[in-house]
Amino acid sequence: MASIDLDKMLAKIKSTQWALSDIDWEAPGAELITEEQWPKLKEFMADLMWIEHVGARAFAALAKKAPTDTLREIYTYFHAEEQRHANAEMALMRRWGMLDGEEIPEPNVNLRIIIEWLDRFADEMPVYVLGTVVPMLEIALDGALCTFLLESVKDPVCHQAFEKINDDESRHLGVGFTVMEMQGHSASYIKMVQMMARVMDPRLILGIASYMPLLNKMRDNVIAMGLPEEKLYKAMNKFERIGGRTEDGRRNPWFQLIKFHGRWVTNRSNKLYHVPVDGLVKLTGMVPRRALPAVPSWVKELTWQPTSTH
Amino acid sequence: MSDSPANKKTAPRKAAVRKRSARARKPAEKKPTPVTPVSVLIIGAGFAGLGMAIRLKQAGIDDFVILERASAVGGTWRDNQYPGAACDIPSNLYSYSFAPNPDWSRSFSGSGEILDYIHHLVSEFDLQKHIRFEKNVTDLCFDEGKGIWTATTDRQETFAGRAAIMAQGPLSNCSFPAITGIEDFQGHKIHSARWDHDYDFAGKRVAVIGTGASGIQIIPELVKVAGHVKVFQRTPGWVLPRPDFTTPQWNKALFRKLPASQQAMRNLLYWTHESMALAVIWNSPLTRIAERLARLHLRRQVKDRWLRRQLTPDFTIGCKRVLVSNDYYPALQKDNAKLITWPIARISEQGIRTVEGIEHQVDCIVFATGFDVSHSGTPFPVRGRNGRLLGDEWQGGAQAYKSINVSGYPNLFMTFGPNSGPGHNSALVYMESQLDYALKGIRKILAEDLKILDVKESVQHQYNKGIQKRLSRTNWNSGCKSWYLTADGFNATMYPGFATQYAAQMADFEEADYETA
Repeated sequence: MASIDLDKMLAKIKSTQWALSDIDWEAPGAELITEEQWPKLKEFMADLMWIEHVGARAFAALAKKAPTDTLREIYTYFHAEEQRHANAEMALMRRWGMLDGEEIPEPNVNLRIIIEWLDRFADEMPVYVLGTVVPMLEIALDGALCTFLLESVKDPVCHQAFEKINDDESRHLGVGFTVMEMQGHSASYIKMVQMMARVMDPRLILGIASYMPLLNKMRDNVIAMGLPEEKLYKAMNKFERIGGRTEDGRRNPWFQLIKFHGRWVTNRSNKLYHVPVDGLVKLTGMVPRRALPAVPSWVKELTWQPTSTH
Repeated sequence: MSDSPANKKTAPRKAAVRKRSARARKPAEKKPTPVTPVSVLIIGAGFAGLGMAIRLKQAGIDDFVILERASAVGGTWRDNQYPGAACDIPSNLYSYSFAPNPDWSRSFSGSGEILDYIHHLVSEFDLQKHIRFEKNVTDLCFDEGKGIWTATTDRQETFAGRAAIMAQGPLSNCSFPAITGIEDFQGHKIHSARWDHDYDFAGKRVAVIGTGASGIQIIPELVKVAGHVKVFQRTPGWVLPRPDFTTPQWNKALFRKLPASQQAMRNLLYWTHESMALAVIWNSPLTRIAERLARLHLRRQVKDRWLRRQLTPDFTIGCKRVLVSNDYYPALQKDNAKLITWPIARISEQGIRTVEGIEHQVDCIVFATGFDVSHSGTPFPVRGRNGRLLGDEWQGGAQAYKSINVSGYPNLFMTFGPNSGPGHNSALVYMESQLDYALKGIRKILAEDLKILDVKESVQHQYNKGIQKRLSRTNWNSGCKSWYLTADGFNATMYPGFATQYAAQMADFEEADYETA
């Protein structure tokens, strides 16, 4: 993927907006969800929707730190677009009778920890940390989860919604990889030194400690739904392939770090990584919900309703 | 800041009919008959135009005419009568030192009271007879042979003067912003500068687009009466607390009995604002203190972390206009109010669609989106020596000498011309310096019976080189987008210095800077 012209990309983003009301959420097809599918799909959709939502918050942090006006505006749009995806996925859940009245689905504990971390520290993170992690998560979503969802769900409204979501995501990825390459422009050793200084930031260490079990937890959930593990790994390898296509991209130390991490995640036999991280998943699973602080108010902006009348 | 565009509310229907028939008659039009020139032709009956008139009268020059396109005086303050409209500079400083008002009811008076003050100026100085209402100037042309400026109106009337004052104001034109779908909206649309006083907001769902100086004044008032108010914000501004209070009776009595006490108060306010230049114009340790003060104000009034984040600016304080309000943040947190920071995707038939995919349905949209400030054009064609057009010369950004004269356009003076804007002090302080400078020029023209008083091009060029160099070191040119700058980032709006420096430059009328004939 070659670098893209960000000004043209911003114009394209602005001209390709869609709204929840563009989709008829009452159209026939909801009955195509099988009884067997329903409970697993409910959990899957809840996770998916929450990942979109935390992705949105990460873009909000990126917008604060963006090095140029254009990139700042692009990230502001991406923040809102990820929120739109979460909203649309909630609208699908509502269509399939998976929402308890007006309630937002409960996020799992690992997501709650990530939400808490994002709320407290994301704005303090340098742009390239989140700028590299976010494409990794998106490629996993885009390449594996969404494809898998569309393969297993026959409801045409779901396909209609995800066609729009995937169009947005491909633009997010295009920008993501371009920014990763921008970071690789200068000498590697300077970048390495700068990165090491960042890595030692305890706030980032906390973030990494929250991100790793989240990935493993997601892997477990996806596999429980019947997604072949290889598909997820294949998608994650795409990150390595596209991100490392150019010399600038390869020179970005954050890319190298995330790439190696991706390799560890996809290599089940790497006990050194998986035993402690799976342990962390188990450990976080034991955290009682009451022990977690109240969700920040940005979470309350989620809605499945296409129109807001008050 | 006068001379509003003919708007639906104030321009009588008759005028529109006349306008249409005038257009229809155009092919058969006759050349305007020559008119006897007055000494001074003033365009605009706002603060600037009326202030000029007062200074002329005080100097014994009574032979002038004021052309006003609306049917009332007051300019910006006549047009901006939205609920909560007020000046963000204390009234004792936002008034003319040569016409003090001891009766200001508050430290920061509302627009109604400011408009009353303007009306008071008209009667106090007997200006009414000089004003020609509904004279919308569409062309201003200099006759080099005669040394006369001729203004032509949209009804083809002509007025001539030996000197001309362009006092039409920078904040006199407004329009709805170019948001996709704006014409599709079926509900009611109101622009803050053309308020619809007949619209009943009670129980209505209202959207406000814009959170600048006007927006933050309107929102608290709307929240009090409307059913629900959604505030659409693109960029948050820095908000400082406003030390607003009712003027006690004893204070008014003191100012009346002892005018020197009011002058002392004015001086105190002046120097307090001057000191703020250090924080607002240049990036200094005081800038950090001002930002900290604004953050403290935000923290004190807003408890929710995310809302605070949404309301925290990303730019250096002063880069855009600094806002002052005590009730804006509390209003946003009322049950019937909501701040929306998602970008607007488009306006639809029933409301506003934001990028998070939701359509916010409303009954009325209030556009608090500011004014059409021209950085590169003129409000009407201004033709100088040898038919040169000022608009053409300003294509790359407006320039003038000391903000008031432009080479090639003799005997023409501008109020709030290029690079005359203050970011930290009262606009009227700057205006007084401009009026007195113009008066010096006019006196010279009349006393020496000059046909031409034209600033030298080299002098103007040198002056602007210095101004732009100084501007590059200011907060305005530090990277944020604002109405101070053109799309290319050229600053043709602000004066890079203290009001005292500006006043000092205007106090000097260097005859050597001008070509005379």
